[in-house]
Amino acid sequence: MLKVDNLYKNFGNIRAVDGISFEVKRGEIFGLLGPNGAGKSTTISIISTLIPPTKGQILFEGESIFENPKNIRQNLGIVPQDIALYPTLTGYENLKFWGNLYGLKGAELKKRINEVADIIGLNGRLKDKVEKYSGGMKRRLNIGAALLHQPELLIMDEPTVGIDPQSRSHILDTVLKLSAAGITIIYTTHYMEEAEALCTRICIMDEGKIIASGTQQELVELVKEKTQISIKLDNISDNMPQIFKEIPGVFDAAILDDTVTLFGENGDILLAEIISKVSEENSKIQSIDIQKPNLEAVFLHLTGKALRD
Amino acid sequence: MLSIIKLRLLSLRDNYIVFVIMTAMALGFTAIFGISFNSYKPSVIIVDEDNTSYSKEFIEELKLNKTFKFIDSDKETATQRVEEGNAFVALVINEGFHDSIENKNEVTIGQIKVKDDTFILSLQETVRGIITKMAGSERIAKVTADFVSAQKPSVDKEKIKTSAYINMMDSWKFKNPLIINSTVANTNIQSGYDGMKQQMIGFSVFFSMYTMVFSIGIILSDKRYKTWDRMLISPVSMSSILGGTMVVSFLVGIMQMSVLILGGKYLFGIDWGNSIAGIMTVTTVFVFAVTSFGLMLSGIVKTEAQLGAIAPVVLTSTSMLGGTMWPLEIVNNKALLFLAELTPQKWAMQGMLNIASKGMGFEAAIMPSIVLFIMGIIFFTIGVKLVKR
Repeated sequence: MLKVDNLYKNFGNIRAVDGISFEVKRGEIFGLLGPNGAGKSTTISIISTLIPPTKGQILFEGESIFENPKNIRQNLGIVPQDIALYPTLTGYENLKFWGNLYGLKGAELKKRINEVADIIGLNGRLKDKVEKYSGGMKRRLNIGAALLHQPELLIMDEPTVGIDPQSRSHILDTVLKLSAAGITIIYTTHYMEEAEALCTRICIMDEGKIIASGTQQELVELVKEKTQISIKLDNISDNMPQIFKEIPGVFDAAILDDTVTLFGENGDILLAEIISKVSEENSKIQSIDIQKPNLEAVFLHLTGKALRD
Repeated sequence: MLSIIKLRLLSLRDNYIVFVIMTAMALGFTAIFGISFNSYKPSVIIVDEDNTSYSKEFIEELKLNKTFKFIDSDKETATQRVEEGNAFVALVINEGFHDSIENKNEVTIGQIKVKDDTFILSLQETVRGIITKMAGSERIAKVTADFVSAQKPSVDKEKIKTSAYINMMDSWKFKNPLIINSTVANTNIQSGYDGMKQQMIGFSVFFSMYTMVFSIGIILSDKRYKTWDRMLISPVSMSSILGGTMVVSFLVGIMQMSVLILGGKYLFGIDWGNSIAGIMTVTTVFVFAVTSFGLMLSGIVKTEAQLGAIAPVVLTSTSMLGGTMWPLEIVNNKALLFLAELTPQKWAMQGMLNIASKGMGFEAAIMPSIVLFIMGIIFFTIGVKLVKR
């Protein structure tokens, strides 16, 4: 459905997207996973024809989106990372406006607004002004505005940033329902668990490049012989990852919040060494979690840093 | 484009207060300044050094003007009072005034003043009008006397001339149609300064610009809410987005100017002259130019806060240059007058004042409208390029 080929984007001397290529197949949820600044949003902006690339080609249904942007624009729904709504208008007025932009009007528009309101769970609140909505409700309306014209391809750029767990869960359910309804979705996130829960295939991006891609299973295969150990400490110093890396068998270590995540071979043997090092550093262990390798471990393995660094 | 127009109209629901405040400010300021002008009578000292029947008649005619308070005095006292600020000007009727009127020579009236202002401008027009009237009457009387005496040499030529002159001057008083025509012809359409009209038009032009510029500035609020990017990736073109926004800003401007024109007419009894079509033409093209100017400003700045900081400075300074706060006739500096030519306000003022104050017809609207239209096209072209960046 969508083919991105050798895409580059420079902003002055900064290369935001560095020669990426990938293909999105009809009906799948395609994940773009990477930390902030990885180039995900820039890639999305190019796909949605908001900004031109420095180099490269994107084909939508076999046709260049740069030569004929109207085709993809009419068939694309985009949920931007920022809430892109008019706060002084009601939810209904917002949906009506965005529907109008895609050529919907009259009874058809009204019907679609009701359907979309059901999907996003805002049926009873559409008469309220958006400025009165909670963060989660705004996020849901932000999604709704992209669904009115029944797009074939839906791009969701970090749609769960900064919201409560309940709204997040609702949004993730919505994504799965939309996918079940046959919509192809490109989902960008820096939350590993969202990518794991939703995506059929995933591209991991870092510093403008795709560093790995495949199904979740294929990606985890890369690190299947390894163990991931997360240690929550009461006192954590910046040089802690380096100290842990000195332990034989530890490949990578990174800090995320108050937790050090290690990646190594033979977790049982490593554990004793780790406890000893923590003790030497006058820190106390609050919890230790030994996990099966996941996308976080893949990212750590490939880049040497945590996904949300 | 229709969906953009509907959106902008919906947004007005929350921003109508700017429209109301700016309209009220224009009307309020006109009322305040109008009342001040009506209750205050500036003092004018008259020094009669000619001391003839003609100079006395000139003074009598002057005193018919109720805008000023006239005081008779000698030259020395007059100078002193002007210097002390007790009078804003002294008019000196030089010796030979009578002869100049009678012998078609150039009439010179001396002025003792500290500075030029709108009152002096108005007084000069009054003086010019009276002298034109007297000289005209004198000439007609002389021609009449010559004609009668040529036909009948036995008559007293001087008596006929005096009688004809008195009759002529009387006929001006009773304002028959002949007088009206003569006034227009003799003043050569240079007169007609009217403080109330100057203020009404000036404040209307000045305050309406704020509404228009901030109305088109809604583009910046789109950028703040990120709805701008979302619109750009929809099937609607950039031209439709800008076009729809311009149309609503333009309509808002036209509506406000119409309210102000009607307010001037019914609240302050302003006579907008003989060509309402001319007034509306200038107004329409002015609104287009200012809306385009607002688009350009919105393209230069990045945020609404920046627009809020820059727009008042730009609008106030160009309005001062353009003559919305005082008539450009009192400005002598060539550089300032040149800069005034570059402001839309100057051309809007010129077009409307020529029609409303000077009794000119639709033709007075043509040149200002052409200039404003060209300005509008230039601002629009630059604005579109900047906004598209």
